[in-house]
Amino acid sequence: MNQRFEHAQFAHCESGVVSTLLSSYGLKISEPMAFGITSSLSFVYMPIVKISNMPLIAYRDLPKNIINNISKVLGIEMVKKQYKDPIQANKDLTQFVQNSQLVGLQTSVFYLPYFPKDMRFHFNAHNLLVVGKEENNYTISDPVFETLMSCDENELTKARFARGIFAPKGFLYYPKHIPKDINLSKGIKKAIIKNAKALLTPFPYAGVKGMRKLATKISKLKVDNNERHIKNFLTHIVRMQEEIGTGGGGFRFLYAAFLQEAKAYNLDKSILQEASELFIKSGNALREFALLCVESSKKLERFDSQTIANKLTEASFYEQEAALLLKKL
Amino acid sequence: MEKFEIPQESNATLNGQRKVMYGINESGKFERVNYASSAEEFATQTAIEEFEQLCRESLERIQQEISSPIEYFMYKNRMDLPTLSSVVGMFSFRVKRHLKMKHFKKLNDKILQKYAEALNIDINELKDFTQ
Repeated sequence: MNQRFEHAQFAHCESGVVSTLLSSYGLKISEPMAFGITSSLSFVYMPIVKISNMPLIAYRDLPKNIINNISKVLGIEMVKKQYKDPIQANKDLTQFVQNSQLVGLQTSVFYLPYFPKDMRFHFNAHNLLVVGKEENNYTISDPVFETLMSCDENELTKARFARGIFAPKGFLYYPKHIPKDINLSKGIKKAIIKNAKALLTPFPYAGVKGMRKLATKISKLKVDNNERHIKNFLTHIVRMQEEIGTGGGGFRFLYAAFLQEAKAYNLDKSILQEASELFIKSGNALREFALLCVESSKKLERFDSQTIANKLTEASFYEQEAALLLKKL
Repeated sequence: MEKFEIPQESNATLNGQRKVMYGINESGKFERVNYASSAEEFATQTAIEEFEQLCRESLERIQQEISSPIEYFMYKNRMDLPTLSSVVGMFSFRVKRHLKMKHFKKLNDKILQKYAEALNIDINELKDFTQ
């Protein structure tokens, strides 16, 4: 089955891995399609959940959403395994590789030796593909990197059994059966509407409202004597958006690309075009927002909370408009 | 089609690697392009510097016999209290106590070994901690 495998670099690890995995098992699916059809665009701001003492901020749905939903949406049978015993997990993985069967893994970035040192933080939901093994080293197709990587089996096992929030517990997955006649157009329409509704949710910490909640929080920040916290808070937002969220409003551009692709499936093209442009606008606003955050944390005396908050609110209005449009599909 | 810019700055934290994002090419189609963002670079570096500062502050507190070496190595491994607690499999209030020098001194080898494994160091580095 592996003959059709081709390593490619992607904007987002999970959608990238799913795209490569399904493509090499015979179902050609692009990264934007994998991302869009699982309704993965989102915004979450959870002040109660802390990561390194900072609130949880995410620009897309929770990790594993794509893997879990793709089987539901497309009727694909996926094998998903978690392990208690690291030795067994490694044995199984070697077995898959020897049968030249491509599998996806969830890992922690911190324990992967091929990552640059500066990028290694305790982020437990990084996805990659294992494509081969030479002696004790696995060959890895990691969507973040341009080329194939190599990783010692002990280190990889450590990364698979990292603990903490989103602990992978050796999570391994691959498609078992892909139906021959997959009708994308029906799934796409449903997925777009579902995503639009999710963005418009009345729950105040998610979607459009979540963005405004965060904007309000930023507008209330005061510099007096906690400069360090403000600097860390602002750069934390940027990190969640850029480092983990791929290039500014990367997920917004990814979703815009999906909407363009969706035009080929018998849906109202003008709505898709307009919404796609709105998401690009939102992505642009988010990039400017990130630049403002960085500028302010470099020169805190010039920190203007209102301007920054307004930028985020601006992005939220574009997304609201786009979601309202898409709901009508 | 709405246009947008792909940042082509520099990002030293990637150590020569290049990441991709979606951009629009000349014929108006989306495709993956390499990018590098200095905003991302600054944010990552700030996070690293924060951990380095926490390490330095911890060293000072160790000298004053307030904090334990576990705290120093926790920050050195870029962990926070909840992460360390889940790695060693203890309740965080217990781990929090172990971050204090006076409780740390009473710990037995078995518990110290757990911490040493979690923090990827030798047990002696905890026992005979020198700066």
